[in-house]
Amino acid sequence: MARVKLTDVTKEYGDVVAVNDMNLDLKDGEFICLVGPSGCGKSTTLETVAGLTKPTSGEILIGDREVTNLPPKDRGIAMVFQNIALFPHMDVYDNISFGLRLRNFEQDEMDRRVDNAAGIVQLEGMLDRMPDEMSGGQRQRVAIARAIVREPEVFLMDEPLANLDAKLRVNMRTELQRLHKQLDTTIIYVTHNQAEAMTMSDRIAVLNSGELQQIDPPLVCYNEPANRFVAGFIGSPSMNFAMTTIEGDTLQADGYAISFDTAAVDGVSDGDQVEIGIRPEDIYLTENSAEARNPSTAFEVQTDVLEPMGDEIFVYLKPIGAAGESGMGDIEERQGLLMSVDPDTDIHEDESVEIVIDRDRIHLFDVASGDALSHGVVTGATEAEAGEGGAQAD
Amino acid sequence: MSIDARNHDDAEQMGGGSDGDDDSRSRIGRWAKDWMEHPEKAYAVMGVFMGGVLLTTSLFPLYWLFVVAMAPPGQTNISLIPAEIDLTAFVDIFVQVPFARFMFNSLFYAFSVTAIVLLIGSLAGYAFGRLDFRGKTPLLFSLLVLSFFPPATLFLPLFRAFNQQIPLLGIFTLPAEIYGTPGAVVAPLSAFTMPLAIFILTTFYGQIPDGLEDAARVEGTTRIGALFRVIMPLSAPGIATAGILTFITVYTEFFFSFLMTGDSAAEWAPVVNGVLAFQTQYTTRYDLQAAASLVAIVPVAILVVFAQEKIISGLTQGALKE
Repeated sequence: MARVKLTDVTKEYGDVVAVNDMNLDLKDGEFICLVGPSGCGKSTTLETVAGLTKPTSGEILIGDREVTNLPPKDRGIAMVFQNIALFPHMDVYDNISFGLRLRNFEQDEMDRRVDNAAGIVQLEGMLDRMPDEMSGGQRQRVAIARAIVREPEVFLMDEPLANLDAKLRVNMRTELQRLHKQLDTTIIYVTHNQAEAMTMSDRIAVLNSGELQQIDPPLVCYNEPANRFVAGFIGSPSMNFAMTTIEGDTLQADGYAISFDTAAVDGVSDGDQVEIGIRPEDIYLTENSAEARNPSTAFEVQTDVLEPMGDEIFVYLKPIGAAGESGMGDIEERQGLLMSVDPDTDIHEDESVEIVIDRDRIHLFDVASGDALSHGVVTGATEAEAGEGGAQAD
Repeated sequence: MSIDARNHDDAEQMGGGSDGDDDSRSRIGRWAKDWMEHPEKAYAVMGVFMGGVLLTTSLFPLYWLFVVAMAPPGQTNISLIPAEIDLTAFVDIFVQVPFARFMFNSLFYAFSVTAIVLLIGSLAGYAFGRLDFRGKTPLLFSLLVLSFFPPATLFLPLFRAFNQQIPLLGIFTLPAEIYGTPGAVVAPLSAFTMPLAIFILTTFYGQIPDGLEDAARVEGTTRIGALFRVIMPLSAPGIATAGILTFITVYTEFFFSFLMTGDSAAEWAPVVNGVLAFQTQYTTRYDLQAAASLVAIVPVAILVVFAQEKIISGLTQGALKE
């Protein structure tokens, strides 16, 4: 158990900056997820902590030791890999005890530890199997047992569930959480799956193009994204974005307008362009406007495509009088709005409906920098939200 | 399909035309027709024939050696089938000359060169197969170029260097005369067999997934440790291939091992000298030479019999799934 601290860690491959000036400070026993799109530098960050990659500059502390230039074996870490990476020529016992044998453990102690680790991941009775005789989930358990048997200070996990099928992934997710509760070890967990990040971690670190965007508890990332990237990355389906112009106390978007409290939003003035972000669940049909805490004035939209998911329906909407297409699917192209409604709602394609938007939960982003200007556009919204935090995770 | 059918018709006509007058021609015609209808029969016959030719050409010399070894001393008129089976020649060779020592010398060369080549070749194969560094490709190519030189061209300079203690590159002299010691054979042969081994090992080591090496390093090995504990065991077919090719090359090598050593067994002469030792100024014991040649083949034959599966899989497949 130890804290992990990265100070100004930068990793360059030739001209490509994989990790840029990364600062992370992880508390002892914390479960932290690094999330981000492919190529955002999350795996590279993990490799620098593991010692498999040497940072171009910066400093890494594990516990109170500076480990920047230590080889992986001297860092007190254990790692679980995406491709599982069991040694195919060794049976389960030898795989799990590999690190112990290298450290010349007594046979008794080794047996005790291997049995214990195998018990934790429920692998009793399989110690003499070879990896190719096991299923994907069992192999992943072996990999986890191999990691915990050395009782490391820090666990590093590089998308450990990515190669498992969907059902198994959910099971292993729960088991990993149980494991964390049981061992209380610092865990750094890399994933591109935000469901894993939201459900498992104490804090999420969102990375993009090698830079840290935000590091906060999952619901804070969800409810108060630091910038447009985080807002778009966390949440599925992702947030609606629309370009608006400020005209007095209204945000004028393409085809609709939302009034707001000028007092609640700092740093904008009349005529400015700002980008608004609205989550699909914060758009309501007018008949349900009572559910919204602070509904905007209703406006009329045309429904486009319905996506019934079972527990909810996603409805693509195009504001009447809007110039652009609805641009379904693609976040960046989406000009209209995506709304989620209850599955029993009486709604059809190509009809016109009236909707309201919960103004407590409208996010404003600076167009140039993408930084969040405000979460909620009416006075008191942010406080109310921080106290509640009841948003859906997935 | 249509072409087959047409050929078939033609064949029938040919067979039919020659039917009445000549029985043998009609038999050939029937064969031809049968083979055209069932090409797999023709392939089977050709396969058996080719196999027979290959087996005869490769096994007959061995059989002939055996027949010669059975013949009494001095007999020059040797029949194809030995008159009697008399295995005393196989004992005599160890009695008349220290043939065991000659064999030991050759085996010693083969084993030590193989060990050196596998060790150094593994390190080189690791670097070429798994690391990225500047000048990697040119270096690998220069290695290839090196193996293009006929080793004989290097004999004279090496002979001088091993014999006369001349300063090498003007920088250093070898500490002692190493002509007539195992070093004079092991060093050059290691160098000559190294490139091929490096190429084979590079291919194999390059195929081991990075994750396994990373896992080994996180678990507590160094890079070298990961090479020996994980990468090499998983590349066993490749190592077997490189090792056996090296072993056979060195064991059957004649030029350097003959010229760099003395003629007697105590002077580290190879097995070839052992065979030649039955040839004296006045007599040549062909029977003993034949017996000695057969015995000399045994180690390589054993090796190939036991390792052929590994060699074949090493030469053909090579891919490793995680």
